[in-house]
Amino acid sequence: MESGDRTWEVFLQKKPGLAFKHAGSCHGYDKKMAIQNARDLYTRRGEGRALWVVPTEAIVSVPLDDAEAFFDPGEDKAYRHATFYKIPDGVSHL
Amino acid sequence: MKLELQHDESKFLIRLADTSVILGQRLAEMCSCGPFLEEDMALSNISLDLFGRAEELYKLICKIEGADYTPDDLVYRRNEREYYNIKLVEQPNEDFAWVIARQFFHDLYAETLFGQLTTSSNAELAGLAVKVLKEIKYSHMHAADWMDRLGLGTEESNHRLQYAVDHLRKYIVEIFDFDDLDRRFIADTASLETTWRNAVSAKLQACNIEEKEIVTPSIRDFRDGYHSEHMGNLLSIMQYLPRAYPDAKW
Amino acid sequence: MDKFEQAFNEIIEKDLKVEPRDWMPEKYRKNLIRQISQHAHSEVIGMQPEGNWLLRAPSLRSKQVLLAKIQDEAGHGLYLYSVAETLGISRQEMNAQLHSGEAKYSSIFNYPTLTWADMGAVGWLVDGAAIVNQVSLQRTSYGPYSRGMVRICKEESFHQRQGYEIMVQMANGTPEQKEMAQDALNRFWEPSLMMFGPHDADSAHSSQSMAWKIKRESNDHLRQRFIDRTVPQAHFLGLTIPDENLKFNEETGHWETSPFNWDEFWNVIKGNGPCNRERLDHHKKAHNENAWVREAAAAYASKVETSVA
Repeated sequence: MESGDRTWEVFLQKKPGLAFKHAGSCHGYDKKMAIQNARDLYTRRGEGRALWVVPTEAIVSVPLDDAEAFFDPGEDKAYRHATFYKIPDGVSHL
Repeated sequence: MKLELQHDESKFLIRLADTSVILGQRLAEMCSCGPFLEEDMALSNISLDLFGRAEELYKLICKIEGADYTPDDLVYRRNEREYYNIKLVEQPNEDFAWVIARQFFHDLYAETLFGQLTTSSNAELAGLAVKVLKEIKYSHMHAADWMDRLGLGTEESNHRLQYAVDHLRKYIVEIFDFDDLDRRFIADTASLETTWRNAVSAKLQACNIEEKEIVTPSIRDFRDGYHSEHMGNLLSIMQYLPRAYPDAKW
Repeated sequence: MDKFEQAFNEIIEKDLKVEPRDWMPEKYRKNLIRQISQHAHSEVIGMQPEGNWLLRAPSLRSKQVLLAKIQDEAGHGLYLYSVAETLGISRQEMNAQLHSGEAKYSSIFNYPTLTWADMGAVGWLVDGAAIVNQVSLQRTSYGPYSRGMVRICKEESFHQRQGYEIMVQMANGTPEQKEMAQDALNRFWEPSLMMFGPHDADSAHSSQSMAWKIKRESNDHLRQRFIDRTVPQAHFLGLTIPDENLKFNEETGHWETSPFNWDEFWNVIKGNGPCNRERLDHHKKAHNENAWVREAAAAYASKVETSVA
């Protein structure tokens, strides 16, 4: 890899109140270049009012081998959802 | 076309409009020629801003003049001696350092100038100035960052930037040689010049570029439609189609 | 078969999306890298034939619209390079493959743009063909590619309109303008049809791409869709499609064309088109002559930025 050029992950907030969403990635040699490149690439049509860029290597993710252990247990605990619970008829605000 | 502007305000504004369109054209030349794809994007963005700015200014001029000609007529049917842009912006894209230095010098000037125009008594012009200031600010930021990268990067980039700066500075003198028209429409010409000179000095120093002694060159003023040799070539490319097919609508 | 391979097969079967983290057959990965990087290269090389007339655009409007379009193409190239990077190839490697000739790009861009009317024809026909292909690719099995295509499709529609607007103006203009428009159509019609690739029977990668749902519809199917849409558009302009055997088949409801000139197609792909050399040389020149800029950027970044995150 030609030295110096880096990839960055781009997050956009369309407007206040909405969460930042991953939009894709961009290149840049330094932070200023990266955020300007992200702006030019991802916001030409008013797609966002706030922008984050994060060096790709800073992202920590769950590797494939661990995915089941991380996420499957969360799928079978119905008692974490309101629908698990039976409320008698006639009772309100529950 | 023989351009006969009746109003002082249009005679002033056409300098800004022409400067924008010519600089836009120079940046458009960089399409697919940049150091990497992201920079093609960045430069075309700035070019688009400049063409848009030029168009709005030409529209204003047509309105002030109550003219039956259009912005396109102004762009495509005036010859080399009828254009009133600063010579700085017609200088060629010798290399990326020229592109950046030219942009940096221009944007500093444009930012201060349009900053003053936000208080114009012409409400439309004032409104336009507010809008374009945002674009100029972004372009200026981009150019200033690249001045740092090139000035402080490698020995080669520093030499190339130095060369570009030395050459382009000879076209600065005319910009601050204000005439009565400038003094009528620019609230504070003195501060326009000092702001520019101070900011440029600071930047050149910060990015390790020498601010050499410049002997005032004997060059005629852009305000009288005098240009460098580049202008004729630039216009002959830009204006080719309407001139080759004068009866066609484009 | 291990559970990851099974999971992959299930994703493909159920029309779900494969994401960068998932296991995928090495051939799937390689197939995608080839297709996506070549798609990206096509966008980037495509900037050249249109950039050719940018400086001579005959009105402020047409100049701005054309520049915005070319800029979008750079953007599409960037989205696609980013997608390819999720599969484990770097921008620099892709660039090297383009320069060495190992990677191809859409052969339509090896044709020259000779007149302003070509800006109309390219927007109308080339982007038109690209849209048909890209809309189909929105349903591709690889998640990032699919998302990239959705984004690209949103942006692409103005491109075709930009081209058609020029065609309308010229077809309704002076006799010289109309002649220019017809000439552009004459030169770009068949090359645009070739953009869909060879007949499916002659395409090396097609069947595997279809099996993995990378490709969702066949070359011929997409090509026919493009022809059926475009012929009426040409008739509206009062222009003639340069195919004396063109006729509408009442039974099938499709427009039938002459057999294509596949010799030309393969010759251009092999590197013997009108502008193959020029396109690559231009790209290499810009890259090589600006190496000093990239070196400066790298040197500067290492001086000012010491933290990784």
